[in-house]
This record gives sequence, structure tokens and C-alpha cells, in this order.
Amino acid sequence: MDDDSREFERFARPHAAAALRLARTLVRNEADAQDVLQDSFLRAFRHFRGFSGESPRAWLLSIVRNVSFTLWRKRERDDPGEFEPTLDAEPDLAPSAEARLLEACDASEVHAALGRLPGLHREVLVLREMEECSYREIAEILGVPIGTVMSRLSRARAQLVRELVGDPRSKN
Amino acid sequence: MEPFDEHPRGALHAYLDGELSLEGSLEVEAHLSTCAACRRELETYRALRRVLQQARAAAPEAETALVRVTRGVRARRRRAFAIGGLGAMAAAAALALFLLPRTGSDITHEVAAVHARALDSGRSVQLASSDPVAVGQWLSARLPDTVPATAGGDGFSLRGARVDSLDGRPVATVVYQVRSHLVDVFAWPSAERDMEPRPSVAGRWTVCRWSHRGVAYWMVSDAGTEDLKALAALIKERRT
Repeated sequence: MDDDSREFERFARPHAAAALRLARTLVRNEADAQDVLQDSFLRAFRHFRGFSGESPRAWLLSIVRNVSFTLWRKRERDDPGEFEPTLDAEPDLAPSAEARLLEACDASEVHAALGRLPGLHREVLVLREMEECSYREIAEILGVPIGTVMSRLSRARAQLVRELVGDPRSKN
Repeated sequence: MEPFDEHPRGALHAYLDGELSLEGSLEVEAHLSTCAACRRELETYRALRRVLQQARAAAPEAETALVRVTRGVRARRRRAFAIGGLGAMAAAAALALFLLPRTGSDITHEVAAVHARALDSGRSVQLASSDPVAVGQWLSARLPDTVPATAGGDGFSLRGARVDSLDGRPVATVVYQVRSHLVDVFAWPSAERDMEPRPSVAGRWTVCRWSHRGVAYWMVSDAGTEDLKALAALIKERRT
């Protein structure tokens, strides 16, 4: 009678770390991230028998995202508007040779800069660059068309570059 | 093939991410061969990828959390199975067990099971309300003895109520929330002497019981012991 819980462990284990990283990306503190993770595993366990998609990872991460949002909506009054990116900024087209400056950034600077991005930008960067999800998987997780993934990713990258090495135009 | 008239904005990202068809990739490469600005941009985003990948944190706690959840599922089932098994036993044996006095730890498990069932079924409340008067009226319409409901405060919000069966009797369940945690507070009239709140941990749940002026309380949540103590104090304070 325990088989399905063991089976679920095998199903979810390869994606557990990605789930926690995404939760950390979407909520503001470690306790909330742990709550989101636990809740997501429970929900996933109840439904994983019915899972028939291609990517268990995308499915699990979409649950993490929904659970995070439920938590996030409860907090909305305290922290309004934080998740939506301001629609600025077509990416800067020619951000000079910032590559070397970027390479000098350490992990804590990177996490701090990610933390300053709107959630929609943060999550797409984490999914693509850290979890190496395909556009198709990201589209499935976010519930948006692939074209939106691409445009959001391009804005998010441009914004993160600006956060890390500054707007080249602001330096005289 | 046609080179891009303009800089290939989104396509540059799709190229970087290996998401373009062969034809699309060749188009982008044709543009890159003539456009230094796009080559620099691509180089920048490649560098960004490297720093992001280096900043990727290991998350070994995630597996621990997964195992905690699946173990919790198995433990709950073993208890349910044990109870089911009793029903199938010979009547005499069942009766003998029935006559054994209930201990605190039996109720602890029952309290935890009721809470887990309510969460699992997605019906944490039968009445959703943050109004203590409405909650009190709803409960008194369903139970012979009214139990006072307490307004939220100090980080706790009143979420609503249920009527559950606990220890063989119907009980009022008032549901509170603290941060992301739901807390069930079961209450019923009791002749027990007053008893201070005593939180304890039972598996993944924190439970707490106390008695106060003719009402016995049990509380269960996945919040911590300090949260439960604080809520118990709030409920006691509002009754005096």
C-alpha cells in the first residue's frame, strides 16, 4: 500500500532541488519557501497518478508556482505590485563589452540583483539559466505562449545586466 | 537567405538558448557576421549565463522535505489501516479495546488525522468567515453547547469553522491562520480542571491542549509551538 508514495519519491526526487530553488525565487524568505515546497509535494502526490504530460519537471514546477502565488496573493496587501514587471525597456540593444564586468560578479551579488527584479523576470531567468528548462517547458510552467517566454526572457536578461553592471548610458 | 533588416531581438535570445531551427540559426549567424553590436550583446548574455549558473545554489534540503512528506503520507495510512483493521476484528476483541480508557496520545493522533483530512479534502472550513459573531452563530446552530469564537489578532486571522467528530463526540472547530499556516482549534464543554496550554510535536504536526473555564481545547497545525502558545494565550485572554 506504500508503493505510490515510494513511486512519487522516485518521480519527484530528480526535480526536488529545482522546486526549492523556484520556491525561493518566488517567495521572500526561507520559511515560506519550505512551506511552499511541502505544500507543493503534497499536492503533486495527490495528483501525480493522473499526470500524463511530457515533462514531470515542468508539471512539478508549475505546481510550485501556483502554490507560491496562492501564498503571494495572501501577502499582496502588504507588498503590492511587486510581481509585475514594469513594462519598460526594450532591451538595450548594444550593451558594450560588459561581459568581463559580469564575470567579476560573485554569487551574492547575482542573488541580490535577481532579488531586485520583478518576480516574472526572476522566475523566467531562474528557469532558463539555472534549471535549463526549454522554452516549451517554461511556457508550460508559466502557462503562456512560447513567444511570451522569449520576449520576457529578453527583457529579463537586459534588466539583470543593468542591475549587475549598471546602465551603460548612465556612465559618462 | 535574407539577412535581418533589423537586429534580431528575440531571435538572438532564442539562438543563445538553442531554440531556433537550423534555418533560423543560420539567419542569426549571417546577421552576427555583419553586426558587432549584436555580437557584443550575445557575448554579454553568454557571460550572464555563466554567472547565473555559478550562482545556482545546491538545495539538498529539498529531498529531505520530499521524504518528510511521503513518510507523513505512509504514517497516516498505517494509522488509518490500523483503525480499519479493528473493525474487522472479532467483536469481543474490539469491545475490549473499546473499554480501554483513551489516552492523550490517542487523541493527539485523532486530532492530527482530522486536521490532515480537512486539509487534504481542500475543505479547511465549512463556514468561511472572519466574523466571530457569525462563526459563533453558525456553530451554536449545529451544536448543543455553544462555544465562544475568538476574533483574530496578533498575526492570527479567523478563517471560519467546521463541525468535526472527535473522541466520539461532535466538536466545534474554529480555524485560524497564521502566516501561511492553518490552525484548527477544537473545543467542547468539559468538567476538566483548568490546564495550561502544553504544545507538543507529533510527526509533522504541532498539537496543543488546554482547558479553561469548562471548555477543553485541542489545537493542531503545521505552525510552530510558539505560534500555538500565542494563539492559545489570545483565545484565553479574549474569554476573560
